[in-house]
Amino acid sequence: MLRDRTIEIYTTTLLLASIVLLFSFIVGSTFAWLIHNVTLPFGSLPIILSVLPLAIPSYVLTYAWISIYPGFNGFWAAVLILTLSTSPYVTLVAVASLRRIDFTQVEVGRSLGLSQLAVLRRVIWPQMRVSLSAGLLLVFLYVLSDFGAVSLLGVNTFTRNIYTMYRATFDRNGAAVISLALILLATLIIALEFRLRGRRTVIKSHAGIVKTHVKIKIGWFRWPLLSLIFTYALLALGVPFWVLTTRFIQNSESIDITSLISATFSTVIASFAGATLAMVFALPLGILLARRSGFIPKLAESSILLTHALPGVVIGLALVALSSKFPWIYQTLPVLAFAYALLFLAKAVGSIRASLQRIAPILNDVSNTLGITGFAAFRRVTLPLAAPGILIGFLLVLLTAMKELPATLMLRPTGYETLATEIWAATSISKFNEAAPYALVLIIIAAIPTFILTRPDKSDSQADSEGLIQ
Amino acid sequence: MTSLEVNELTIHFDGRPIVESLSIEVPSGAFAAVLGPSGCGKTTFLRSIAGLITPSSGTIRFGTQLVSISSLVLPPNKRHIGYVPQEGGLFPHLNVAENIGFGVGKSENIEVVDEMLNLVGMKNLATRKPYQLSGGQQTRVALARALAIKPQIVLLDEPFSALDAALRNELREEVCYLLKERKTTALMVTHDREEALVSADIVALMRHGQILQYGSSRSVYSNPISPEIAVSTGDVLLLKAERDASNSIRFALAQIELKGEIEIGQLVIRPEELIVSAEPSAAALSAIVSKVDYYGHDAVLQLLLDSWPEEEITARIAGPLGFNVGQKIWVTHVGPIRWFGLPDKK
Repeated sequence: MLRDRTIEIYTTTLLLASIVLLFSFIVGSTFAWLIHNVTLPFGSLPIILSVLPLAIPSYVLTYAWISIYPGFNGFWAAVLILTLSTSPYVTLVAVASLRRIDFTQVEVGRSLGLSQLAVLRRVIWPQMRVSLSAGLLLVFLYVLSDFGAVSLLGVNTFTRNIYTMYRATFDRNGAAVISLALILLATLIIALEFRLRGRRTVIKSHAGIVKTHVKIKIGWFRWPLLSLIFTYALLALGVPFWVLTTRFIQNSESIDITSLISATFSTVIASFAGATLAMVFALPLGILLARRSGFIPKLAESSILLTHALPGVVIGLALVALSSKFPWIYQTLPVLAFAYALLFLAKAVGSIRASLQRIAPILNDVSNTLGITGFAAFRRVTLPLAAPGILIGFLLVLLTAMKELPATLMLRPTGYETLATEIWAATSISKFNEAAPYALVLIIIAAIPTFILTRPDKSDSQADSEGLIQ
Repeated sequence: MTSLEVNELTIHFDGRPIVESLSIEVPSGAFAAVLGPSGCGKTTFLRSIAGLITPSSGTIRFGTQLVSISSLVLPPNKRHIGYVPQEGGLFPHLNVAENIGFGVGKSENIEVVDEMLNLVGMKNLATRKPYQLSGGQQTRVALARALAIKPQIVLLDEPFSALDAALRNELREEVCYLLKERKTTALMVTHDREEALVSADIVALMRHGQILQYGSSRSVYSNPISPEIAVSTGDVLLLKAERDASNSIRFALAQIELKGEIEIGQLVIRPEELIVSAEPSAAALSAIVSKVDYYGHDAVLQLLLDSWPEEEITARIAGPLGFNVGQKIWVTHVGPIRWFGLPDKK
């Protein structure tokens, strides 16, 4: 019986992940192409609108949709929600890699007799493929590990099964078996993507000034194109924003201010501790991966990639099992922070590595010849140059930890309520009004780092989106 | 200041020799240039002197101090060298003054930075960040930063390659003057033959990780030890010639004593060693001008000698240009006869 169910879970999960992958690829790459190549009105609004949904946790988006449309349920509802939630990853990665391509190459391609489409296929696509495939991997893993949306919509995927098994029956062995199957699947996908993408190299055609990109002017036709982005924003941002604000205003008297403030503090404290711990682990790993090649860095890279494959539910389960052996740490804040650090280590390492790799090695050489070596050189040269990237990496982990739901539910100390757990507690029993203020605060806090990531034409945000896709 | 002595230096990279038993000596206070095409190993060589690369064998000495023997090396921070990498390598997060003072201790920092700012004439730009500087200014700051630690030896890696021609000449003169005035021993690597000849006291020609010839600019230019070196230091006429019945090498422009068993070889003539005149004279050979390349300050003529119609030869003449295509002229050769045998084709 368990085997039949496992097969069913496998099929549902894989199907869901594949369909979402396809849709978010279409949405994300179309938007990226529009943003990069077409003169759209309203300045940087189009890119902000197409990336800002990153700040909205999938369970908040789901809850918003259910509350305006009570019959919203099932597989295709999950496809819609997860496509809306994941396409910003693809957009962000695709825009960043488009920006890196020297426009001279496009001009040379055209002068050699290639059509616009042929340039896209033969010049641009080969250079985008690597980072795009990394972005799509992220989408796939996001779906595999998503817990909130599928649970609220009643779609029987791995994560939902693991959690209900653990909660309803405390069947840790059954949950562990399914977890293992999920890890196996995710590892397989990562290995496959690693194979497909080949070597990650950025090829620069010359060291000089990168030629400014010339955008296509398309007159009135930009309005229907722009409306694509607006429609997306309406579904992914408009719906939750409208639901949350109307519910918030309607019930403004009955809001429990004390618990709202305490949940906000709990969220900030737990995620801050988690992000700090993640950075502490990630800094030496990032340095190792950025500067050296060899067996140990390869090993480190693979194991960090593997943490990618571990959904919050699985980490939660593992740490519950582990910490229940030691009653003095079971369901304590340090364990929760540790879980966050494990979950988001890959993100932290990615952004640290990206910002370190941008530092020219010659600067370290020069510093050595001037008598400054070792830690002094790190403090005076490397750290100040990498600091902005490291800081934004920290913000990124902080943001993700704030939204994290399943591990938080399983590992938090008894009575410790964060914004995420309060939203979950209210929405899972359909008390949508009560969830609104918590969701609103969470989105507002989470929007800040997202906004920093979308700043257009900042070289830093490019590296950070690279960090994001690690 | 100190001398630099490199003996039998070999450097491997990925198992391949990049530099092979290379020896060179730069006297104290001299400016030496290593001239070679890109990929010949000159930057690797320079970095090994800085201590940034570990050689596999050979020795490097600064004066009497042994800084590198086989793979035992003194780390770069103990060598007291001024390293000016390609494009300057300025710290982007520090301003001009902070860059210059980077390697100088706190106690004398202000004083030294001030002195250096004056030296390179950038007093009024002390608070600028590197990205606010022009290429020439960046090179100046990089040099000032290197000189600020009072180095034993200054190493320059293509310091002027990123600059346009006019600025390049001006800055080169300035840098040479600065180094000379401070009696600094300096080693520059470059692929620009004019740059090497005009700025250095000593020029070393490097190919495939080896120094082929080494000497004063003048001797390297006028007495190359092979046609290859002649080509790499300036324009040349390479003329094939063979031994004839009278056991001497015959060529229209020169008569050469036979050396050894050489059957066939090349005569190397610099275009400026051909004197061209519109009037006939006793020793001159008649020719027709077939092409004129006009450069303003000088011109290059393609000539066809009446007595040697197989090959066109080139002559460089100083301006103003008085010759036209199709004109009949007379040519004499003034200068050393350079004759190189080709390997026997048996």
